[in-house]
Amino acid sequence: MTSSHDGISRRSVLKGASAAAAAATFGFPAIVRAQSATSIKLGIPTILSGRVAQLGISSTNAVKMAVDEFNAAGGLDGRMIELLIRDTKAKPEEAARVVRDFINSEGVDVVFNCEASSASFAVQEVVREAGTFCTHCCSETSSLSADPAIHSENSFRFARQGIHDAVASATYAAEMGKKKGIKKWMAVSPDYAYGRDSVEQFFNVLQQVDPEAEIVGYGWPKLFEPDYTQIITQVLQKQPDAVYSALWGGDLVSFIDQGALYGLFSGIEFFGINLADYTTMSAVRELPEGLHSGTRYIAAFPDTEANHAFDAAYHERWGDHPTNWAWQSAAGIDFLIAAIKETGSTDSGALAEAMRGMKRPSPFGADGTLTMRAEDQTVVNYALGWGTTVPKEPFLIDIASTDWSTVYEFETAWKKSQGYI
Amino acid sequence: MDLAALGDCLGTSSCLIFQTVGGLKIGLLMFLVASGLTLIFGVLGVINFAHGSFYMLGAYLAWQTMALTDNFYLAVLAAALGVGLFGVLFERGFMSRVYRGDVLVQILLCYAFILILDDLVIIVWGEEFLSSLGIPDAFHRPPLFVGGAIVPVFHLFIIGFSTLVAVALWLFMTRTKWGKITRAAEQNPLMVSALGINTSLLFAGIFALGSLLAGLGGALAASERSISSGMGFSVVLESFIVTVIGGMGSIGGAFVAALLIGMTRSFGAIGFPLFTDGLMFVLMCLVLVLRPQGLMGRSGG
Amino acid sequence: MKHETFLKDVAIGIGVVLLLALLFQVITDPGIHDLIIKTCIFGLFALSLNLLVGYLGLVAFGHATGFATGAYVFGLLMQTGTWTIPAAMGVAVVAAAALAAVIGAFCIRAREIYFAFLTLAFQMILYSAIISFVSLTGGDQGLMGGYPKPPFLGIDLSRPFDYYLFVCGVTVICVILLRQVIQSPFGYALRMIRDNHERSYFLGIQVKLYQWIAFVIASALAAVSGVMMSLFVTGAFPNFAYWSMSAEPLFMILLGGMQTFLGPLLGAFILQLLNDLVTEHTRYYGLVLGLVILFFILGLRRGLLDVVWDKVSDRRRKAGTVRPASPVTGDAEARERS
Repeated sequence: MTSSHDGISRRSVLKGASAAAAAATFGFPAIVRAQSATSIKLGIPTILSGRVAQLGISSTNAVKMAVDEFNAAGGLDGRMIELLIRDTKAKPEEAARVVRDFINSEGVDVVFNCEASSASFAVQEVVREAGTFCTHCCSETSSLSADPAIHSENSFRFARQGIHDAVASATYAAEMGKKKGIKKWMAVSPDYAYGRDSVEQFFNVLQQVDPEAEIVGYGWPKLFEPDYTQIITQVLQKQPDAVYSALWGGDLVSFIDQGALYGLFSGIEFFGINLADYTTMSAVRELPEGLHSGTRYIAAFPDTEANHAFDAAYHERWGDHPTNWAWQSAAGIDFLIAAIKETGSTDSGALAEAMRGMKRPSPFGADGTLTMRAEDQTVVNYALGWGTTVPKEPFLIDIASTDWSTVYEFETAWKKSQGYI
Repeated sequence: MDLAALGDCLGTSSCLIFQTVGGLKIGLLMFLVASGLTLIFGVLGVINFAHGSFYMLGAYLAWQTMALTDNFYLAVLAAALGVGLFGVLFERGFMSRVYRGDVLVQILLCYAFILILDDLVIIVWGEEFLSSLGIPDAFHRPPLFVGGAIVPVFHLFIIGFSTLVAVALWLFMTRTKWGKITRAAEQNPLMVSALGINTSLLFAGIFALGSLLAGLGGALAASERSISSGMGFSVVLESFIVTVIGGMGSIGGAFVAALLIGMTRSFGAIGFPLFTDGLMFVLMCLVLVLRPQGLMGRSGG
Repeated sequence: MKHETFLKDVAIGIGVVLLLALLFQVITDPGIHDLIIKTCIFGLFALSLNLLVGYLGLVAFGHATGFATGAYVFGLLMQTGTWTIPAAMGVAVVAAAALAAVIGAFCIRAREIYFAFLTLAFQMILYSAIISFVSLTGGDQGLMGGYPKPPFLGIDLSRPFDYYLFVCGVTVICVILLRQVIQSPFGYALRMIRDNHERSYFLGIQVKLYQWIAFVIASALAAVSGVMMSLFVTGAFPNFAYWSMSAEPLFMILLGGMQTFLGPLLGAFILQLLNDLVTEHTRYYGLVLGLVILFFILGLRRGLLDVVWDKVSDRRRKAGTVRPASPVTGDAEARERS
């Protein structure tokens, strides 16, 4: 039973979820227990409301696809996966409460965390104390898995990471820089942890691979800033050769629309790491040609049958393209199901043991496979690349993929510089 | 903090023009929204805390009209009128019931509407942000080069249009009968009703006009800003700051304060890039402490 | 007389704590425990705000300033690993009171809506500072990585029962203290200021001073709830200082009732329950909450406990036993609310 919030069919929400919740709340415990004794419970704390609701919706969409398939095939010897999905409204303390509730009251076997960064750290605290098996599928903050101080034996991250992205961005940027004679760089990035880290790590790696790269200025709009005029005018006056930006979603769209009024993109190379998301690119009024973007999720990269099939299946069921969070959650649930099948159990320690070092074929892998790295329990070898935009589908062309050996090299150096190893 | 950069900017004509035009555009858009808020406060004595949500509604209505007709001007008009109508319904159906309640009840009523409207637009238009309206075809032309600075033609349109609205408001308040009644109601509501003027009608009309301005601001802003649930909150905060600094109820004050904030944002981004928001709140605190009635408000608060 | 009510309060308080302790043993569902814990935390938060809103007539829209200061100062001290919990808690409360003393000195000069905005503005400055001061506060990520909770007096807060009882106990103590404040001559003076500003002046009450003291007390108690919240999440997050955190206790006051002493506590319980139940069923929590608020404002026109109390006192009056309208304020009906 996937009783949850659907977003599309509200009626099924009210039927499914409320039946379960009403039973739990108003006391027909016998029925619920009888059913749940055999099911494998996954508790998903995520954001379903407000302006980043897409995070939770696309993540849970991907999970539901895999779970339905697993259940249709008979589950684990008849044990079906049951999803408990809760909206935490982007509040860390609410995420902590929900996860505690999952563990203590609902008795979930796995916390399948689809929270953004700050709430993910709160979730990590709870599962670390409780020892529950946990997957983080949306937080891109590197320290979540890299920092040994908050490490938990039973937590695994299935998400791209800031430092990996930074290496991919910087190596691509350095190459473009050589080709196009880019010397002077400027950053325009949202003023919060992710935006700042992204810029810092990008410039750090960039100046290692291209010692001539010079940083001429920073623009720090706040998160969800509606108006970028004063930032754009500053960029125009500093006259950099290129701009690096970690803006995303509606903010990035506003920036590009407003920048276009000034003719910003005719003289300046733009590197937007989060541009190549379907929702973002299709929302830009007139997507300028030749902007550079990292690959968030795009069906054309990796250009394999498996990836196109995932995109098509997702599109058929949800009427929408997958997002970056969707592929990450799809990878997470795929590994989790594999671990459950392999161990034949839902024991936290056994799952963790099976998970460490697991390698699986995946549509999202750089070479058709993904690996759960044992040492810091985070996913590696996912498809990483940069390309340039075109106004229509496939939106991104000339995609150059990043070499993971380079990523590992810089990642190790970064970890050392942070004192993590 | 980078005061040297700010000094450099003030000393070069290109930077001065760049930031001034940008500040004018931001400030005047802010004025459109804030003038509605201050107008309502001046006459009715209530703060419409949901004013930012009216701005959001304007943006969504404009987007919808644009999607149906592909006519920018029609979209702006429909948004302004639609939100104006919504404002009347809100005032008659809800707000008018709590005029005599305490401030807490008024704030919470408005807050309830913020919550409801934020979810309603998600239910109607989906949880993902919508793209901006884009600018009308007539303004699809290369930007102007003025004294080494780049000025988008469309920004000149926004500046000109908003100034026209400000002038029209001023003429309305000073030259028309209803404007004079409105100002009289601000001074002495009892006298106005004693003169046999239908205050319910007046209040509904003022609320309609104030809401219309919010809708107009939302629609114009949506020409180059993406649209999403929750976009109204930062706007209502800014509008409050403008209203408080200018003097609550003073249209002229709102005009001056909006430009002041626009310039603070524009030049502050150079001098204090990480504290432009804090700077606005500090300005507001200063005004509230030193001159509670605002720059152009009547004393007594 | 006063001494007697204090002893009575203490006796009731001890009874309540014992009852809650028993409840913990009887009902083993940790979800219920969390519900009670959050009701205590937010209940105290709302009760402290009601000292300003209900008893002084000052609508403070920046009450989370005290809450967040308490949580952050406590969290930062605990992260050093060298502080005991009571000491850190004491410093956190004093810090919040000191900050409130400064902010209050500015804010009480403003009246009504201006007071609301000024408190909000100061809170937003604090929020901006927390967000910008990354090296100390962790910026938007908050205080992460947890902190140790060293046992004190045999209480180990990392044990669920100890933490539960600690929160209940601290809340009850604070509630008793708050009641003492309200029933003292100082408390009566506050109500007089609320009901008749001018008369209070003539009677020689130093209105601004009294308002300022009440502001500091309310903020200090908010800091206590902030500390308990920090212990709940083993950290502190910037949305503790966001404006919506100040709106929540206002909802609670509205839902529970501002005329009755324990109204806000009931409001906190309702809001938590509403949150837990509604988010399980729909993601349109805002819509539901908005409609509930509308119902309370336009339908009931006052909080739940106020309604109950009015009913009870109506019946008493009919039965001939005339008593003041409200157990605490004594003049609730004198205050016309539309």
